[in-house]
Amino acid sequence: MASSDMAFGFEEVGKTGAGLETPDVKGRSINSRRFNPDTIPKLVLTVTALSAVIVVFFIIVYITSLSLPAFKEIGVWEFITGDRWQPGHGYYGALPLITGTVLVTAGSIMFAVPLGVGAAIYLSEIASERVRNILKPVCEVFAGIPSVVYGFFGMIVLCPFLLDLFPDQLKYSTSWLAGSILLGIMALPTVISVSEDAIRAVPVSYRRASLAMGATGWETTTKVILPAASSGVIAAVILGIGRAMGETMAVIMVSGNSPIIPEPLFNIFSNIRTLTATVALEMPEVVYNGIHYSSLFAVALLLLVSVILVNLTANAIGRRTRRKLGIIKAPKHSLDLKGRILDRIDDETLRAIHRAKPVIRTMLSAAVLFALASMMLSLFMSSNMALLSAGAITAGFVLLSRAMRYVSSTDKQTAAHTSLKLLMVFVLILLAVIIGDILVKGLPAISTDFIFGMPSNSGREGGIWPAITGTLELISFTAVIALPLGIGAGIYLSQYARENKFTRTVRNAVDALNGTPSIVFGLFGMSALVMALGWGYSVIAGSVTLAFMILPVIIKTTEEAVSAVPKSLIEASMAMGSSKWQAIYKVVLPAALGGVITGIILSLGRAAGETAPIMFTAAVAFKSQVSFSLFEPIMALPYHLYFLASEVTGSTANQYGTAVVLLGIVLSMFLVASLVRHHYSKNAKW
Amino acid sequence: MVIALNENTDLAMNVKNLNLWYGKNQALFDVSMPIWRNKITALIGPSGCGKSTLIRAFNRMNDLVDGCRVEGLVEYNGQNIYGPEADVLEVRTQIGMIFQSPNPFPMTIRDNITYGPKIHGIKDQRKLDKIVEESLRKAALWDEVKDRLNTYAMKLSGGQQQRLCIARALSINPDVLLMDEPTSALDPLATKKIEELAVQLAKEYTVVIVTHNMQQAQRIADYTAFMYLGELAEFGETKQIFNDPKNELTKNYVHGVFS
Repeated sequence: MASSDMAFGFEEVGKTGAGLETPDVKGRSINSRRFNPDTIPKLVLTVTALSAVIVVFFIIVYITSLSLPAFKEIGVWEFITGDRWQPGHGYYGALPLITGTVLVTAGSIMFAVPLGVGAAIYLSEIASERVRNILKPVCEVFAGIPSVVYGFFGMIVLCPFLLDLFPDQLKYSTSWLAGSILLGIMALPTVISVSEDAIRAVPVSYRRASLAMGATGWETTTKVILPAASSGVIAAVILGIGRAMGETMAVIMVSGNSPIIPEPLFNIFSNIRTLTATVALEMPEVVYNGIHYSSLFAVALLLLVSVILVNLTANAIGRRTRRKLGIIKAPKHSLDLKGRILDRIDDETLRAIHRAKPVIRTMLSAAVLFALASMMLSLFMSSNMALLSAGAITAGFVLLSRAMRYVSSTDKQTAAHTSLKLLMVFVLILLAVIIGDILVKGLPAISTDFIFGMPSNSGREGGIWPAITGTLELISFTAVIALPLGIGAGIYLSQYARENKFTRTVRNAVDALNGTPSIVFGLFGMSALVMALGWGYSVIAGSVTLAFMILPVIIKTTEEAVSAVPKSLIEASMAMGSSKWQAIYKVVLPAALGGVITGIILSLGRAAGETAPIMFTAAVAFKSQVSFSLFEPIMALPYHLYFLASEVTGSTANQYGTAVVLLGIVLSMFLVASLVRHHYSKNAKW
Repeated sequence: MVIALNENTDLAMNVKNLNLWYGKNQALFDVSMPIWRNKITALIGPSGCGKSTLIRAFNRMNDLVDGCRVEGLVEYNGQNIYGPEADVLEVRTQIGMIFQSPNPFPMTIRDNITYGPKIHGIKDQRKLDKIVEESLRKAALWDEVKDRLNTYAMKLSGGQQQRLCIARALSINPDVLLMDEPTSALDPLATKKIEELAVQLAKEYTVVIVTHNMQQAQRIADYTAFMYLGELAEFGETKQIFNDPKNELTKNYVHGVFS
């Protein structure tokens, strides 16, 4: 039977555990039912999750109900298809606005997709571990730059540059082209990081299997890795589209804002106006509760619905990738139409299809190239010349692609790697130009008088102290409101929620709120908080609006960080008689702290840089003194920059100074966040 | 070896007609068995037979699974741990658990051990120091870690981590120790240490161990229960189960006909 030899240094201990200083409870009766210590924490967390849902539904219901009068008076069909938007004359046709949004987004994607996907392929497939660890955070800096700073850069650098480049084509310095380039740059971080994640999610065994058959690295990338990651990359692009569609400040500042449909439709040099710009520009002028007022809610609703649809599509496609890679299970009754159709086709036809595939692919790309080239060229030359040159370009492309088969696969690899490297360098140069321009021209404007002084002469002279304190005040109150709700709801979703209807509703609500364009929050804040509740332009109205905006980010990052802590730790704690809340509070939360703090700092950084949500709720152009009251309006850095750049000529030096300070505050928050993440990731290994 | 046992004093736990469902799936069918005090009881059986479910039913860890429902009695000291008066936190304080793969908290070695006592209200630093030393000694880990109590638990080897988890469970001085395949993630040497430790601990505690490894059950267990498809196929002294199984299924399993 069981031997009890002292194989290695056991201390002989008495039968009753003598010497152990725990209260002598061993064998105590278990029938001593106490008040369940989990009841109150669970109740509190449920209430926070519930209030997050209420916020979302309230915003959606509010915007929908206020847009109803406009739809009733104008008619839904007339509203969407009417081609005149002239509220002053009673014309409420949103078609020019819809066209504007679609065109500027489409243009930005032409720009963001090659750069973003290329950079993602470079980072995940070609760059060494060391290079990637440096470049990835650098690319994330793009995401940290506030949209008003992009807009400022666009106004002051990009637009004049384009005007020099196309003096005959551009009527004004602003254009659809400028808007698309700027939005493309802004969509880059989303496209890069989501595609890179998708590519890196492909199991390394795929790569090994392909390389073991003598394929080159590049062949493996294009024929195995990218097809496996394709839906993830597409999801990344769609998320980028959603980001570009919802953007307000940058577009307002560079695309001219005339509510016209470009003539011809592909005239990238025309001015355009987006849905978001319409809300931002007309909100200050409307009569409260009039038809124009209601029509702006209709515009916001249109925007909201399209962005939510775009994001849902991206999520669905993203799930497909994870299914394909076996990360999540496929539903039982998956359709697999492609497989079913292919099963019914006989072998002869199948072979014909396979033979035709490359030909069809080349023809399709040639057709698209020809169409695009002839459209763009026709803006520069007569249409006959344009068709001719486009034909030449297309022929060249077809010849080149046919010639590719005579290039050895290693040479192809070298060529591909070199071009992707150059592309990455281009992305980095873009970043360097934006940051560099602002730093070089802005730093000389910085002085103690500028930081701590009051503005004078409409902001051309003096300092920005009230704007700095105002921004800090705003994000502090935003944190006070958003953190308890967001963290509570995140913990609830991760630890207490069961997979039922309520939980799904909360998740969907959070996703919906997450994609909502910031201008929609601004509209809601102005109408509900400033007007209906009578708070006026105030710190409290601005903070609540910003809090609603960052709530979903905090909920999501908290939930992810908390869920990443293994369930086995909770079990270990509860197996010692702790309550669930004790396990969460003492084991899970400390372990998840890094992720939670990172999420909080990032979202507050975003709040600090936002303009659209505060321009109708809290921010004013001037304040003569610094005061701290919840119910007074304030100055804020992003709005100050927007105001100076768009209204005050001759304030360039102070514009740059403001941009540097804003960029400094936001980027240092990003830096702190990444240091926190780095610090905690060292100890969290399981 | 014949052991005379008195039902009233030597029975640590008693399972009577235990049925358990996960949602609509029944996982345990009418299981009845004794857990004798200061003995090692092994639960063996093929994968999916319900042995892990059964051991998790012994300290109500299954409460954490949504839709889990229990009928029947699991008595500890004659009191039903599923009874309306039973306090689940007290149940788990008396009946501790060691898990399949080592799961130390992401804290220092010392904080891992003091966690449980602090939860139960001990604040005195000297008392806590003493508990740390006693628990680590009992888990045969003291000599290896006494000079680095403030390093992170994750830095220990797998076997050391599992002994740390045992020390952590001992820190609140439970009565029964449930071990759910405690060596399945460990190498043979670390496994040997845990086995010797289990034998040593049985002098003071009542030990229940789930194991996939029949040699392990033979080496350390006094009693063995063979589970099959959610039912208790056979329960008896370990020698009898392995040398003279009464049930045809048990015979096939211990002779390696299926696994």
